[in-house]
Amino acid sequence: MMLGRVVGEVWATRKNPRIEGRKALLVAVLGQDGEKRTPTGEVVVAFDSIGARIGHTVAVAWGSGARAVFAAPDNRWTLVDAAVARIVDAVLVEKDGKEVEERED
Amino acid sequence: MILGRLVGTVWATKKNPRIENLKLAIVRPYFWYNPSHDVEHVVAVDQVGAEVGQDVLVCVGQPGRWVAGDYRCPIEASVMAIVDRVEIERGCEHAAPGPFALRAQFKPTTLVRVGADEGMTGGEERGGGERGTP
Repeated sequence: MMLGRVVGEVWATRKNPRIEGRKALLVAVLGQDGEKRTPTGEVVVAFDSIGARIGHTVAVAWGSGARAVFAAPDNRWTLVDAAVARIVDAVLVEKDGKEVEERED
Repeated sequence: MILGRLVGTVWATKKNPRIENLKLAIVRPYFWYNPSHDVEHVVAVDQVGAEVGQDVLVCVGQPGRWVAGDYRCPIEASVMAIVDRVEIERGCEHAAPGPFALRAQFKPTTLVRVGADEGMTGGEERGGGERGTP
C-alpha cells in the first residue's frame, strides 16, 4: 500500500464491462520526508472503492491486493490492479524518538 | 494501472494459440508507478477497440491477464478503457519529472484543470482593488 493525495479524476465511456461503474482517480504519491510528506511528483491512477474526492489523503493497494478490494464471487475476473482502499484520517510517525499523530484535514 | 497514450498497434501472424484473435497495442504511459521494466512503452491486449492517438487506461500484471478468460495466456497488460476526460487539480499537471520522459509531455487530449488556484484568485481581487484606487 502507498500513501497519496487525490488530485484528479479520469472519465471513460468505452470500457471493458468488468470495470463498469468504477471511477478512476489520479493520486499524487506522498513522500516520507518526516512529517511534511510532500508529494514526490509521481502520479498514479487507481480505481475508487470508498468515495474518495479530490484533496483526500488515501492509501492505494496494488496488484492482486487491489483485486481483493473489489472482491466478487468470481474474484479472479476482477479487472483491477490499483485501488484506493481507504481514506486516511491520521498518520502516526516517529519524530525525535516520539510518536506523533498527524491528522489530515 | 497506467494512464497512457496508444501510439501504435502490433501485427503478428504467428502467435501463441492462447492469444489468437487478440489485438495488440503499444501504449506510452504518462504515469507508471514502480514499473517492472525500464522501458517507456508497454504492449497491451486491446479488447476495447482503441485507436492510435487515444488516451487509454491499462491494467498491468495478473489482473490484466484474465481479459482473455484464461490465466495461462501470455498477457501482461490489457487496455481497460478509452479515456474521455482527465480532470486534474490545478498545479498538479506539472508534476516533477519521473523515470519517464513522456511524463513531461503529460497532455491528454482531454485534460481539464479543476479547482481554483486560491493564491492567484486572491491576487486578482487585490489587484482589481489597487487598479481602482488611482
